[in-house]
Amino acid sequence: MLRFLVRRIIGAVVILFLLSIVTFVLFFGVPRDPALLMCGKTCNPDSIANIHHVLGLDKPITEQYWIFLHNLVAGSDQFAQGPCPAPCFGYSYHTNDLVWSTLMDRLPTTVSLTLGAAVCFLVVGLGTGLLAAWRRGTLVDKTATAGAMVISSLQIYFIGPLALAILVYQTHWFDKPAYNEFTGDPLSWFTGLIIPWVVLSTIFAAQYTRMARSAMIEQLQEEHVRTARAKGMSRSYVFFRYAWRGSLIPIVTIFGIDLGSLLGGAIITEYTFGLPGLGQLAVQSVFFSDLPLLLGVMLFAATMILVFNIVVDATYAFIDPRVRLS
Amino acid sequence: MLTGCSKGGSDAGDNKKQDEQNAQRQQASIKFGDAADSTGPAPAVPGAKNGGSMEVLQRDSYAHLDPAQIYVNDEMTVAQLIHRGLTGYKATSNDGKQHEVVGDLATDSGTTTDGGKTWKYTLKDGIKFADGTPITSKDVRQTFERLFAPFINQGPTYIQQWLADTTGTGYRKLLPDGPYKGKHLPDSVLSTPDDKTIVFHFQKPHPDLPYALAMAGYSVVSAKGDTKEKYDKKPVTSGPYKIQSFKSGKSMVLVKNPDWDPKTDPIRHQYVDRFNITFNQQFEASTKALLADSGPDRTGISWNNQVDAGNLSEVLRDPKLKSRVVSGYQPYVGQMNINMSKPEMKDIRVRQAIAYALPVTPFVRAYGGTDAMEVAGGLISPTVSGYDPKFDPYGKKKKPAGDPAKAHALLKAAGKLNMKLTFGYINTPEGQQYSTAMAAGLKKAGFDVQRQEIPAETFYDQVSKLNNTYDIFHTAWGADWPSASTVLPPLYDGRQIADGAANYSQVNDPHVNSEIDRINTITDPVKSAAEWEKLDKYLLTKVINEVPTAYYKQTQIAGSKVGGLVYDDVIGGVDPRRLYIK
Repeated sequence: MLRFLVRRIIGAVVILFLLSIVTFVLFFGVPRDPALLMCGKTCNPDSIANIHHVLGLDKPITEQYWIFLHNLVAGSDQFAQGPCPAPCFGYSYHTNDLVWSTLMDRLPTTVSLTLGAAVCFLVVGLGTGLLAAWRRGTLVDKTATAGAMVISSLQIYFIGPLALAILVYQTHWFDKPAYNEFTGDPLSWFTGLIIPWVVLSTIFAAQYTRMARSAMIEQLQEEHVRTARAKGMSRSYVFFRYAWRGSLIPIVTIFGIDLGSLLGGAIITEYTFGLPGLGQLAVQSVFFSDLPLLLGVMLFAATMILVFNIVVDATYAFIDPRVRLS
Repeated sequence: MLTGCSKGGSDAGDNKKQDEQNAQRQQASIKFGDAADSTGPAPAVPGAKNGGSMEVLQRDSYAHLDPAQIYVNDEMTVAQLIHRGLTGYKATSNDGKQHEVVGDLATDSGTTTDGGKTWKYTLKDGIKFADGTPITSKDVRQTFERLFAPFINQGPTYIQQWLADTTGTGYRKLLPDGPYKGKHLPDSVLSTPDDKTIVFHFQKPHPDLPYALAMAGYSVVSAKGDTKEKYDKKPVTSGPYKIQSFKSGKSMVLVKNPDWDPKTDPIRHQYVDRFNITFNQQFEASTKALLADSGPDRTGISWNNQVDAGNLSEVLRDPKLKSRVVSGYQPYVGQMNINMSKPEMKDIRVRQAIAYALPVTPFVRAYGGTDAMEVAGGLISPTVSGYDPKFDPYGKKKKPAGDPAKAHALLKAAGKLNMKLTFGYINTPEGQQYSTAMAAGLKKAGFDVQRQEIPAETFYDQVSKLNNTYDIFHTAWGADWPSASTVLPPLYDGRQIADGAANYSQVNDPHVNSEIDRINTITDPVKSAAEWEKLDKYLLTKVINEVPTAYYKQTQIAGSKVGGLVYDDVIGGVDPRRLYIK
């Protein structure tokens, strides 16, 4: 297990390293200059040069990359805006905020959104999927399958504004979406996130319904399941102890990836409901050609995905004792 | 759902009413106020009450709070509440349409005895920063000297250039490190003989100084509290409100500043106890929330979000919303540039043909119809002194779809039928839409139009390159203060043709250049406004390097319990200084 973890963590670090290089190269490769966005109406070559100098963009790219790596590991006190302890991504070009604090500041929003939505879509999605598999071929199954098909082809930017218009502005059943800190007021944290949770989880729930149903049906056709039934075990025992366990592997795999990428920022949901999470930061960093923020968001999101991949692989061992990690 | 299919209104009727209003506006040019005009408190807003919290829904968080870095509209609006400068705009009517420049921290809008070369300002008594320290000439000196430091690179540069008597960024050589390494501007440039007096010394006359000083970018900075780069997050403020908390990208809370004395301030009020600002609210979201008008949104407003294009037509035509909706002009004027450096553009008949042929309707339609864009006559916006509503050299107000027959005749006379015309357009959904229809209109007049897309991110970079390959391209420009001196000189001064400069059409006309120099020395703002308008007419009838397309408008909405809602022409949006809770 330990050897497995060490190997995977080293692999993840290498991927992050390569990703940071790719981000750097792409940033300097596109014909877009952050200085242009900052130098306003009276722009001229001199003022652009001044901004380049202030941002450190006048140094060779390799040197800038080296400084980035150095700061990331060792921190830096070279920034005029203040100290930058490791992991130091520097200060945002656009807002002059410390990138790491900004990430940490936005993380609770994204975590709240993701975990709440994950609970919703797991319960609803898997529940419906199991029910459909259990009552395979009946009206319940057909309704669930067809419904899941329709819903999973919808998009958040469609159902989000629709939910807002109906549930918030017309009927006033729910509060306007907003992020309030859990530690400040748990109730308003909850009420402010209901609509985003429902919207984000609807589409995921539909996908998990389809996934759970097909995985279960596949498992139920396996020989060991048939054998168990033939031995006289009850249908429900076989369904939940044999087939369910077997179908968890693909579900956990997908869930790990989904959770990781959602924790990197649910861009459209955050944008639709005005929630200040990591997804909004990602958009902002691209919009303002904000290299330190861009690198911060990219690497943070990638780390989330990599971490959850490792976690998923590690859980295989618990779900299926036949899997040996080393 | 959100684009181009709004009803568009009845063009002729709307324009006529607009013209009448604008004519009244024009007669009330902005004057420079004296000591009596500059004495506080500001005249009470009719019906205003004290108290309450206002919810402010904003799209973009404030990247800068250091006055010297403020040049963006959102930040200029919040600066109206938290920062004060030597001068400011006082509304002299309750509809936000008439203003005068008055002394804000200073006792008057400034006195000059030599035609604008030397300007003297005296600070009022009883003015303080929000930390309780009095504001003195030392702070004003710091305010201007720090503008020369390298880290200040986003705000306006007018006064720095005037002090150093140079263009571009050459001014930085005057005080390369700002005031931070013990050096200061000499008394021959900026003198502060005592705690209350500030004298600006320019080499050339700059009669526009009172306007320039009213920009948020020249608001006062505390010498004692100047933390350089860090000031941008935690400035020492001086306005009627101070920052209680600011969570960058999330929220800001403004509360009353007890050290602000209304008797010193002829411009601002302090009716509301508290402004709760929430960021990340897109135009659609803020419009829907304020339309719904429930819960805290009843005392809600957005200072800078517009009503989104999808809801615009409905919002403007619902009589029940009338008291909650305001509309007005943004400072921008759209114009089609004709690239004067191209040999084929040397023939004035070709340029005339472009001007007559160009349809403006597609542009107006692409941005949501006449509610969002008004067909332009001249290059000077209706909110700028010197605007003449009757001026319409190519008949665009009557024929916004263009006059291809007249253009065809001109092109034929020039012997240039079917000449190639390269049209560089910005690659946005709107740009794609209007450029196609504009090209079709030009084609009808006999041009062989080649459309070339330019990525939106690099658009201004590309078209401001001297050797660009485009014959025509569309840009927009907004005035920095309500005088054409911030419009015509940067755009049409032939001596300022450079890579990245704003003279996009690369026009270099000796008469225009000499007129710019002459008008820049006229001290009476009303007289100079009339002269700028003459130059506008000369440019559009004799030079023809531009075809004006549209004046940008916007509509804003507030909750039912918001009082004092007025669209201010100078701010270019809701005036936050006079708001109260009903």
